[in-house]
Amino acid sequence: MENNKYVEITILKNGPIHVKGEFTFRDSSGSPRKEYKELYLCRCGGSKDKPFCDDTHKKIGVRN
Amino acid sequence: MSEFKNDYNDVNDREYTNGEITVFWKPRKCIHATTCYRELIEVFNPRKRPWVNMEGASTEEIIRVVDLCPTKALSYKWNEEKSGKDSSVSSQSDENEIRIMQDGPIIIKGNFKIIGTDGNAIKTMKMASLCRCGMSKKMPFCDGTHRKIGFNDK
Repeated sequence: MENNKYVEITILKNGPIHVKGEFTFRDSSGSPRKEYKELYLCRCGGSKDKPFCDDTHKKIGVRN
Repeated sequence: MSEFKNDYNDVNDREYTNGEITVFWKPRKCIHATTCYRELIEVFNPRKRPWVNMEGASTEEIIRVVDLCPTKALSYKWNEEKSGKDSSVSSQSDENEIRIMQDGPIIIKGNFKIIGTDGNAIKTMKMASLCRCGMSKKMPFCDGTHRKIGFNDK
């Protein structure tokens, strides 16, 4: 059994993915992994700051 | 080092060989991470049947890409016992990892608890791929729709 604590991934209604816990993160640019504790990731496909949320979902009216 | 065995066989499993190595494909384990065909479309082309063309690249190149598969849906073996190589043993770390696939989903690996929009836990998972294009019919999980709509990171 690993002692790792769970990373919580919360799917926010009509909004982004909220990630909280201890994890490494790697984007698609090939840059090295970095450690993070919290992130908001775009889930609407419309962010101009992908993969991060920039609140665009509020403008484009995302459903769930 | 943790051993990550391909647990059981399935009728949909496939094998492809070029005489030198055999590539094994377990569709049940695939989460459409898209790594294989982004790296080597000449071999791994989901629009073709069969979707794996073992003549499309060198053995070394195929092995390199098979080893990138995050779920081990793809694995390989040397056809002749050769220096004890075994792709089913990998050096996966125990840490929790989130990875963004270019023009594709979010891959999570490790100990994750997914909490739905109603605030209740959906499930705990070791691995999943989460929609990033906004169009999946299996929200919050990826169902491959990003390919159809041409989702891109720009």
